[in-house]
Amino acid sequence: MAVNRRETATEPLNLIPIMNLVTILIPFLLLSAQFIHLAVIDSTLPAIAPPQAQEEMEEPDKPPLVLSLGITQKGIHVLGADHVLFPDGVPELGEGEEKPPTVPCLSAGKCTGTLDYNWAELTRMLAQIKDEYPDDQNVILVPDSNVPYEILVHTMDAARADQENPNPDTGEAKLLFPFVVIAGGAI
Amino acid sequence: MKTARRPKENTELNITSMMDMMTIILVFLLKSYSTEDISIAASADLQLPLSTSEHSPELAVNLVVTRSMIVVDGDDILNLTVKPDPENPGVSLPAIPDDEKRGQIVTLLYDRLLEKAEAAKALGANTGVSELDFKGRILLQVDGGMPFSVLREVMYTAGQAQFGEFKFVVYKGRQP
Repeated sequence: MAVNRRETATEPLNLIPIMNLVTILIPFLLLSAQFIHLAVIDSTLPAIAPPQAQEEMEEPDKPPLVLSLGITQKGIHVLGADHVLFPDGVPELGEGEEKPPTVPCLSAGKCTGTLDYNWAELTRMLAQIKDEYPDDQNVILVPDSNVPYEILVHTMDAARADQENPNPDTGEAKLLFPFVVIAGGAI
Repeated sequence: MKTARRPKENTELNITSMMDMMTIILVFLLKSYSTEDISIAASADLQLPLSTSEHSPELAVNLVVTRSMIVVDGDDILNLTVKPDPENPGVSLPAIPDDEKRGQIVTLLYDRLLEKAEAAKALGANTGVSELDFKGRILLQVDGGMPFSVLREVMYTAGQAQFGEFKFVVYKGRQP
């Protein structure tokens, strides 16, 4: 006697609609995928009022800060804060001697590229000035005519925040001088 | 006589591996999906520098200064020339041709930017929408190796054409 066996047929999962969806989505997402992100650095002309209004100083004996960074091919001059950086007085120059940059190049003489500028030392000095003037946020950049644009951007980054020494409470980089004004002309 | 039966060949396509790959790619692309208000045309003549700035770009007049030309909102304005660097013998730097300048003002660039400023002011006045008011914003995409002398003349010209708020476009990233 034949025994009828019911064969329970299990249908395989129909993946065609999912494949449809994936095949259409992937080209669209590939076209709009962004692997390089853009940002902007804000700056204004010197003729326009500075973005940060200066509040009345609590200590009238403290000279107001007009911080400028002169960018040359031999290094960076930090101007307007000698009383903070050199409390014992600025080193005297010999007769006919040119004033050396406050932050000279890592190699002797001219800086050979962006990595030859001592950005860490510049940020350290600016952090020292910021400790004396915590309310000031403006800096004026005065580059030489032949200084490349990327050096200018590096300088703005070094002046904006101290990435190496973040705030221990918040973990964020310490804000230094984020408002930049670019002035033309040599030092 | 019994005849041997050929076993039935399985002709179904096994798409498990392809589904695996597609799912992983889809998840990755969904994660990196984002849009920007501005676009850049990457080329050998325009290498933007890296910066730690976190500000996102906004829509504004797009001024591109490559090693060979100046472009405003996709329109070529003028070609740059090369001049020897007086401080570095043997080195040539991009420069704006002298006949294109009137003092520090680059004439063709000034004319085009002034047109843009006037058009933006008219648009803001006609629509009455505060977001469309002219704010003097300009996006600057400048090649990393451009000397400051060219940038200074471009910025001065833009300032004279009533653009005072500069936004330097950079690649987001930490410098080595």
